[in-house]
Amino acid sequence: MSKLQIISKGILKENPTFVLILGMCPTLGVTSSAINGMGMGVATMAVLIMSNIVISLIKNVIPDKVRIPAFIVVIASFVTMIEMLMQAYVPSLYASLGVFIPLIVVNCIILGRAEAFASKNGVLDSALDGIGIGLGFTLSLTAIGAVREVLGAGSIFGFTFAEGVMPLLFILAPGGFLVLGYLMVLFNRVAKR
Amino acid sequence: MKSSLKNMVVVLFIITTVSALLVALVNNMTKEAIALSNQQTKDAAKYKVLSTTSEEAYILCDTTRLIGDFAINVSTVAKKSDNAIVGYAVETPSITKSGYTDRIILMVGFLEEGDDAIINHVEVLSQKETPGLGANMTKPGNSLEQSVFGKSASTLKFSVTKEGGSFDALTGSTISSRAYANAVESAYAGYLWAKGRLATENENANDTASGASLTEYNNPTESEPEAQKGEVENE
Repeated sequence: MSKLQIISKGILKENPTFVLILGMCPTLGVTSSAINGMGMGVATMAVLIMSNIVISLIKNVIPDKVRIPAFIVVIASFVTMIEMLMQAYVPSLYASLGVFIPLIVVNCIILGRAEAFASKNGVLDSALDGIGIGLGFTLSLTAIGAVREVLGAGSIFGFTFAEGVMPLLFILAPGGFLVLGYLMVLFNRVAKR
Repeated sequence: MKSSLKNMVVVLFIITTVSALLVALVNNMTKEAIALSNQQTKDAAKYKVLSTTSEEAYILCDTTRLIGDFAINVSTVAKKSDNAIVGYAVETPSITKSGYTDRIILMVGFLEEGDDAIINHVEVLSQKETPGLGANMTKPGNSLEQSVFGKSASTLKFSVTKEGGSFDALTGSTISSRAYANAVESAYAGYLWAKGRLATENENANDTASGASLTEYNNPTESEPEAQKGEVENE
C-alpha cells in the first residue's frame, strides 16, 4: 500500500464515521454545529497521530494478552497530559477545543486504530494512518455539523441566514440520528460508484 | 510478543508506573500556569463587563460573600486617571437554580447611576449547557444578555418572559435561561450586599478589622470614598 493510499483510505474506504461506524458517541454529541464538529475532529486527529506513533513504537515489548489495557493506559495518560499542557500554555486554543479533549479518552477510534493498524505497522505508516483517519473523521463531523446547523439553526459556521424559522429538532439529539443516518446512506452510495 | 504471567505483570507494571509518573510530572509543571491563565481570564472579564481595559482601570478592592458553599465575589473597578469608581464586577454562580447540566458562573458588570445600578455586559465564565442550544449564552449579543444590557437592575424581574420575567429566553433552552436569570439575580444581591458593607466599612475607616481591602480602598488620593462614588461617570 502506498503512503498516499494509507491517507486516502481513511477518508473514503475506511471512513471512521460512515464506513467503520466508530466513535458514534462524540459524533452525535458534538455535531450540533459545523464548527463544533470540526473542533472535535481536529482534536481527535492530533491525539490519534500521536497515539498511533507511540503505540507502534512500543508494540514489540507488549505481551499480546495485555495489549488492550496497555493501550488504554498509554492513550488516557497521553490525552490527560495534552489537556493539561494545552490549558497551561495555549489557553486560547484550550478555550475552543478544551471541551472535546476529555471526550477523546473514551473515543473508540483511537483504540480501534491502535489495535487494528498501529500495533501491526511501522511508525511512519501509523502516523499516516492517523492523519488519514483523522481527516476522515474531521470531514465527516464537519459535514454532519453543517447539515444540522443549516437545518436546525438556519446558520452555517456561525453566520445566520434564517433565524428562528428552522426546526429546532435537528440541533437536538433525534436530529443527530436522522442526519447521521441519511448522510451514511448518501456517502456509501456515492463511495461505491 | 508471547504472553507469560511474568512478562504481563512486569510490562503492565512498567507502563502504568511510567504513565503515572509522567502525568504527575506534567501536572506539577502546569499547575501554576493553569491557575495563572484562569486568573487572567477572570481578571480580563472584570474589565470587559464594565467596558474598560486593564490599561485604563484597576481593581480597587475585592470582597467576597459566602452563601453556603457558594461565593459571590465583588470587585470594585476604578479608573487609573482619577481613581473614580467605574463600576462593580460581580462573579457569581446561579445559586438556587442549576442549568441543564451544571451551575452557570457569570461575571456581571454594574454601573452606578445615582442610587440605581445599571447592568452593563455579562460574561459567562463557566457553563456546561448543550452546544448549539444553552451554550449559545456565551455568544456575544445573545437574547439573554440583550435583555439586561443597559437596564436598571432594580426594575428587572429575574425570570424568563414566559413566566412574566424580563429575560428573553434562548430558543429551546428555558432551563439554561432560568439559571442565567438566577445568576444575574445573585449578582445583583451580591452587589447590594457589597455596597452596604463598603459603606459601613468606610464609616469606621480606622477599624483595623476590615483589613487589606480597606487599606487599598483608601487609595493615595485620600479622597472620601463616598465623594468618589459621586464622581462616577456612566458612559
